[in-house]
Amino acid sequence: MIEFESVSKVYDGQRPALSNVTFKLAPGEMAFLTGHSGAGKSTLLRLLLGLEKASQGAVRVAGTDLASLNGEKLARYRRRVGVVFQDPNLEEDLTVFDNVALPLRIAGFKEADIPKRVNAALSRVDLSDQAMTSPRVLSGGQQQRVGIARAIVHRPALVVADEPTGNLDPELSARVMRMFTQFQQLGVTILVATHERAVVESLPFRHLTIERGRLVSDDVGASR
Amino acid sequence: MRWLLDHQSAFSEAMKRTRDRMTQFIVVICLLGVLLAIPGWLGQIWLGMASLVPSDAVQSEALVFLERDLDLESRIDLERSLEDQAVIDAITFIPKSEALDALSASDGLSQMTVLRDDNPLPDALRVRFSFVGDEAGEAAVIDGLRSDQRVMSLRYYPSARVQYASLVEMLGLLGLGLSMLTILGVLMAVFLVSAADVVDDRRRIELYTLLGASNGFIKRPYLYRATLLGLLSGLVACVVIFGLNTVLSSVLASNLEALDPELGSIPMDGRILITVAVVAIVASWIGAERAVHRRLHALH
Repeated sequence: MIEFESVSKVYDGQRPALSNVTFKLAPGEMAFLTGHSGAGKSTLLRLLLGLEKASQGAVRVAGTDLASLNGEKLARYRRRVGVVFQDPNLEEDLTVFDNVALPLRIAGFKEADIPKRVNAALSRVDLSDQAMTSPRVLSGGQQQRVGIARAIVHRPALVVADEPTGNLDPELSARVMRMFTQFQQLGVTILVATHERAVVESLPFRHLTIERGRLVSDDVGASR
Repeated sequence: MRWLLDHQSAFSEAMKRTRDRMTQFIVVICLLGVLLAIPGWLGQIWLGMASLVPSDAVQSEALVFLERDLDLESRIDLERSLEDQAVIDAITFIPKSEALDALSASDGLSQMTVLRDDNPLPDALRVRFSFVGDEAGEAAVIDGLRSDQRVMSLRYYPSARVQYASLVEMLGLLGLGLSMLTILGVLMAVFLVSAADVVDDRRRIELYTLLGASNGFIKRPYLYRATLLGLLSGLVACVVIFGLNTVLSSVLASNLEALDPELGSIPMDGRILITVAVVAIVASWIGAERAVHRRLHALH
């Protein structure tokens, strides 16, 4: 599903943010990406989301080299990916329902199909009863769950999460991770960037460690 | 259908954003309207004053008296050579018989029919110079005619515009400079407002990009809002120009009304209003397009 082949990324006049990173993630596989701040996690995710182009090497998703995508093709690729942020980035003047419906509206889904999909996504994150409320009245954990519902509502084959538990307490972090585990069991490929080693070590998934732009370990985990 | 829905949703989004920032929106409209009114009003003064000035004041004229025994062919040849001059607008032949009749009518004493067979007046050409002709061009034509063997004598009546050409030119350049400066000010204000608007929405633009929205989808609400902003700013500018013109008319033109009822008001030039409205919309639209484009470009 995801393939990084000898990927390097160098910003002008700076040391390499990523250096010769190579790994593959099979369809339906879940992996954690850990590393200190500035290790290169965000750069790797930006490459995966097509926000950056690799200076060297190739980033492929489902066989497509992301460097070959531009404009509308890149937008179309992103519509097939679910993204979860550390800060859920919800539109506060929209209801929870409309926030979750955003990817569907952007992708041009028929209005008649949207309620069914949004309600299904909200029920997966146990927020069916909050559909018509404003994100302002939700707790941090609930907001993050709305963000996760928004990431999976269009049933993407790949979900990328950047520090999804960064603002949550351990109990909520564990709950969010359980949700990712459930999605993985449904066949979704998931890559979670985090610096919380405790969360990673408690789960039996593949664990990629990145330091100073280099992939220093690739622990396959117990799940595969 | 999808296209229509996308535009409908972008328009609703633009309206919502406008409602959310109503005070800011109104302040910006008034500011841009007043700024745009400055070059617009300068243009209106220029065109409006021109309409108050009789055409013979802005167009030079020359009466060219032809040699008495000039044959028809030579006269036509002279007329043709004058017609070729870019600075000449019109040439009218005044035969000596017509001049005699006019003199008889103005004399009021008697018909000078006795003189008809032995008309002492020469034939003449009335040469009317162009509105846009310059002083040097007119002088060259006059010099040429003075040295022409076919011409007995001539009277040259330079227009006020030609007489005060250097002053008019300086004032024109000053007006143009001021207009350019204010238009530049308007553009900078529009660009700053658009950029500030987009900076406020940085997170939203990033989110929509990551959710797979196309550039067009992201830009549309901003462009709709910018169009509305430009339209209303243009409207405010037109109202300000109209108001200033009315005040100027009451002060200046009412004095002229005593001379000629047609000069009682300075007519509002529709071209000015249309230009101001178009500049407002285009500037606002370009500002929004540029600001969002830069934001999207910075993301990648």
